[in-house]
Amino acid sequence: MLRIPCPHCGERDETEFRYRGDAGKARPAGDADIAAFATYVYERDNPLGWHVEWWMHVAGCRKLLKLVRHTLSHEIHAVLAPDAEPPFPPREQGR
Amino acid sequence: MAIGVCRLDLTELAVLRGHAADLPAVARSGGVALPPTGRVAVSASALVLSVRPERWLLLTSPAAAGAGAAAWSERCAGLAAVIDHSSGLAALHLAGPSAREALARGCRLDLAMDAFPPGHAAATSMAQVATILAALPSGLLILTPASTARHLHEWLMGAARPFGLAPLAEITVSTFFGHNDP
Amino acid sequence: MPGPARIGRGLLTDGDRPVGFRFDGRELTALAGDTLASALLANGRRLVGRSFKYHRPRGVVTAGPGEPCALVDVIGSAGREPNQLATTLVLREGLVAESQNRWPSLSVDALAINDLLSRFLPAGFYYKTFMSPGWAWERLYEPLIRRAAGLGRLVAPAVEHPAPAETVHDHADVLVVGAGVAGLAAAHRLGACGLKVLLADQDVTLGAGALLEARAIAWREQMAAALARLPTVRWLPSTTVLGAYGHGVFGALETLSPEAEARFGGLRERLRVIRAKRVILATGAPERLIAFPGNDVPGVMLAGAALGYLRRYGVAVGTRPALFVNNDEAYEALFALHGAGVRPAGVIDPRPQSLAMERARSLGVEVHAGAVVASVAGRRAVRGVSVANVGGGHRATLRADCLLMSGGHTPSTALAAQLGAPLKWQEAIAAFTADLAPAVGSVAGAARGVFGLAAAARDGDAAARAIATDLGRAVNSAIAIDLPADPAATPLAELWEVSAPGKAFVDLQNDVTTADVRLAYREGYEHLDHMKRYTTHGMATDQGRTGGLTGAAVLAKARGVPVSRVGALKPRPFAQPVPFAALAGGEVGEHFKPKRRLPLHDWHEAAGATFVRAGLWLRPLVYSGSSGWEPVLAEARAVRSAVGITDVSTLGKIDVQGPDAAKFLDFVYANTFSTLAVGRARYGLMLREDGLVFDDGTTARLAPEHFLVTTTTVNSVAVLEHLEFHLQTVCRELDVLVTDVGDHWAQFAVAGPRSREVLERVVTGVPLSNEAFPFMAAGAATIAGVAGRLFRISFSGELAYEVAVPARHALEVWSALIAAGKPLGIRPYGLDALNTLRIEKGHVTGAELNGNTTADDLGMGRMLKASGDHIGRSLARRAGLLAPDRLQLVGVRPVDATRRLRNGTQLVAASARSTSLGYVTSSTPSAELPGWVGLALVAGGRARIGERLLGVSPVHAETTDIEVVSPHHADAGNTRVRA
Ligand SMILES: [Zn+2]
Repeated sequence: MLRIPCPHCGERDETEFRYRGDAGKARPAGDADIAAFATYVYERDNPLGWHVEWWMHVAGCRKLLKLVRHTLSHEIHAVLAPDAEPPFPPREQGR
Repeated sequence: MAIGVCRLDLTELAVLRGHAADLPAVARSGGVALPPTGRVAVSASALVLSVRPERWLLLTSPAAAGAGAAAWSERCAGLAAVIDHSSGLAALHLAGPSAREALARGCRLDLAMDAFPPGHAAATSMAQVATILAALPSGLLILTPASTARHLHEWLMGAARPFGLAPLAEITVSTFFGHNDP
Repeated sequence: MPGPARIGRGLLTDGDRPVGFRFDGRELTALAGDTLASALLANGRRLVGRSFKYHRPRGVVTAGPGEPCALVDVIGSAGREPNQLATTLVLREGLVAESQNRWPSLSVDALAINDLLSRFLPAGFYYKTFMSPGWAWERLYEPLIRRAAGLGRLVAPAVEHPAPAETVHDHADVLVVGAGVAGLAAAHRLGACGLKVLLADQDVTLGAGALLEARAIAWREQMAAALARLPTVRWLPSTTVLGAYGHGVFGALETLSPEAEARFGGLRERLRVIRAKRVILATGAPERLIAFPGNDVPGVMLAGAALGYLRRYGVAVGTRPALFVNNDEAYEALFALHGAGVRPAGVIDPRPQSLAMERARSLGVEVHAGAVVASVAGRRAVRGVSVANVGGGHRATLRADCLLMSGGHTPSTALAAQLGAPLKWQEAIAAFTADLAPAVGSVAGAARGVFGLAAAARDGDAAARAIATDLGRAVNSAIAIDLPADPAATPLAELWEVSAPGKAFVDLQNDVTTADVRLAYREGYEHLDHMKRYTTHGMATDQGRTGGLTGAAVLAKARGVPVSRVGALKPRPFAQPVPFAALAGGEVGEHFKPKRRLPLHDWHEAAGATFVRAGLWLRPLVYSGSSGWEPVLAEARAVRSAVGITDVSTLGKIDVQGPDAAKFLDFVYANTFSTLAVGRARYGLMLREDGLVFDDGTTARLAPEHFLVTTTTVNSVAVLEHLEFHLQTVCRELDVLVTDVGDHWAQFAVAGPRSREVLERVVTGVPLSNEAFPFMAAGAATIAGVAGRLFRISFSGELAYEVAVPARHALEVWSALIAAGKPLGIRPYGLDALNTLRIEKGHVTGAELNGNTTADDLGMGRMLKASGDHIGRSLARRAGLLAPDRLQLVGVRPVDATRRLRNGTQLVAASARSTSLGYVTSSTPSAELPGWVGLALVAGGRARIGERLLGVSPVHAETTDIEVVSPHHADAGNTRVRA
């Protein structure tokens, strides 16, 4: 189980949060074509490694957090505000 | 351990963009101090707690429907949204040395006295329902949506039974008020 | 001394408190503090069960939670509980237990024929035999396998869920798993540093290995007393850590003592979810078996177990024990039994010499160095052993009544492995160990391969010091570990199996032999995990604790590689079987899911409502206890002909405020809200970004910068999250605040041609004439003296209003409305009547907003705004979502008005029955028209209005002629709502 350090509430169980998907994808501009929106809605990376993702603290402060999480080790490298640029992912440890 | 039902009015203040700095003065004019997120502040006529950034819950003695919120709406016009939750949230008060131990049956937060001392507040979920906890010198105040209040109350009674349960009492919110000492 | 084999005082048993119990119908007596296993052994009972596959006689093998054989049924007032471990089951007065896997009785077992047929039951037998023909699976193979398979048997309990269950959440700075010397030393050190420590151990008492050696007893007692004085250290006895879940989260199962059980109302097991900053895994190193022919005969057990029964319970497991071991540590059992007056039959040790061997010789014990056990005489009990030279060749025959074996000790790496720690082979102990990353914690003591009590204690202390420093605590160097020095020991010699004729087991619980492992290898299952699945080695409830590595070693030998190359079985949670009741915790029965209750729940109940669950809500379905449509139609007709009132408080209500509120709603709704006037409401449609309909509802503008959004009951949580998500991402530039106000407002619909008359008697401050308060008007109003809100909206298709008041005033307002409506014939109506009315009117709900429909499918395509971005705008224009042959909303009626409709009925062309054109989504007998009316989604449906289709419901064996009509069965001109 993940323990997510919420910057507003402190460290909490994963069960208090709702996963809201890939935070690496930005919504295209409103006048973008269907293909751009199809990419945004349907195309997902499935990385083995670092992943930038949305978690909303629904049982706590209801703030949306941007996490940099390792999909294998579940290590959480950073918990950021929604508009923050994720830091360059840490180097892969030799696994 | 004693579970008490607490009747009170609840008004939420939520800051509009760019007015975070203006609100404390307005709050003071209404007789309350605004604590930081995760804390409770005691005023002469209200208990104020915050579990969401830039949002505060004002707990006051029951008045006519919407009266409290209307007064705050006037004070905060253009600075904050004011939302009446007086009927939306129910309040329970838990007192006694075993209250925290009993709550550990459903609460995932560390409720040890040193981790969650009086003056602290947190939003979490307990027995699968949303709850706001506030640690007061007298015990723990639990706020929960009105529609799940009976469920939470029943669950609490069950969790508390092995620790001994005093008969249900009604508690007046003003007993928590005092001098402003956040 | 209850029981003939009780030869002394045990550390845990109370000689003054005899306890009576029953096993397989026999009344027996033991002592308080005994486990069922020690109680049976004290009574000279060797045979305690039959094995899983071959139904071979089996006895007690261990003295702890890794027991593979001594599993029993416990029969209590609540029924029969299978697979209880006799080795950990604390004896209670009147306990009734029965052996398992035997029929008709333990000494005569019909299925023991499997043992004689064993050459036909090799590894992979099921896969090979029950292959074909396919038809035989259901009729023949499965029932056959079901009868023969399984451990124990599950009988439905006589009373439903008799015992309570609970989950407790714990927090600590450090979780110490295991209260042996390493764990005790670590907990003491951490506690002395002021850190919050949870010390979890599966045993009922502290000490583990320290209990087994006389020279450590005093130290253990000092330590227990010191821990009791440390306020931040909490010991959790009888608590098994079941799994490690990362981020410092662990699951543990606590078995309650009889006293705690009584206090907690019969609670037997408690699930603990532990969160800790660091963990110290001091989980020890269980002894492992040696695979030799007959290593499963009752009376063959682990040497450490025999030591445990003597020290803990004062029970000698035999009167003439033989010892077959490859390490000096295991001799302690022999020395202890000798010291208690038991005369050993002899020692068999593959090593040429060792210090412990010399000591045994000096005590006058017959020692066979360089030797192995080639076979065991006896079937239901050990009668003797045959000794062979290591290189082969018979050496001697010993008369013995039990055989104590030890193939070495295997550190418990399960929890470390679950935390991702790599395994490292340790030559000196012939086993794997694992280390944790410092940010996670440490492995200490025997679990890290550090054997010897003093050495392990020092190791636990060192681990604790490092963690305390890491957590910023000053370490008090005055604390010292003053355990007597460990005796010198000769290293073990690797010995996994003895090659001799006969069945040699590597997994006693699943009946896996060395021959099975070799067969798996020959058939291509070279990888340990493949061999495991093919043979079921290590897949039983004991997870191969006693022979897991032994099986891996046999595979390694077959492959011709060292064991280190083969690896170890991957241990997964749970470490021991866990009752489902414990996992469910308190969330069972009434509390399985929370119930959301309406403010007027009690009123509805008193009015005779039948309730239905809608999401988490309990809603009145109909104000009648009787089933059937009559009461529903009576309620609906009251609305159509006079007036009705219904509780719609379950609708989601979201307060939206801020300078950009209108702009925000224009983005989240597919239609426009910025043009809505203050004091007006509008129906809104929300799309998902993929262009399909997400939710609908009526939204009112209360002030220029203040809206109230309503959502459907079931989507209220999802819509709020959807709005908040977008406000924090795409719309983060907008100054808008959204707040859930769903529970604050009680909301009632007053509907019917006479609804205005009702409201005129109750509402003050708002003129209700059609001109002053027209259809879709909204605003503040005083209702029965309560400040609230009034909306002129209609879901029924009639002239209707919805009033909203703070929920604590719900009863007074509702009562006032009913009283005012009484002379006009008002009646409350439930969800069923509400549904009848909306189907007649052609309004959609969840059956039509099913996640597959677009606005156009539902006939609302024109609502989508022509310009401006909104969620779903782009993808809603995909060609596939605009195709004319999509399923579109229509109305349906049976051609023969005496026939009924059914939801889910497939609609096919009347001429060609081949493919489905769509299906009925909602249906009801009509309150207004003769017969049934329904809504359906039909391919190109709007163009089919007027056509006839065939409704087919194969599950009801029904076909019905159906007419496709407009979805607006009632008041197609929409005049009533504006009346
Ligand atoms: Zn939070």
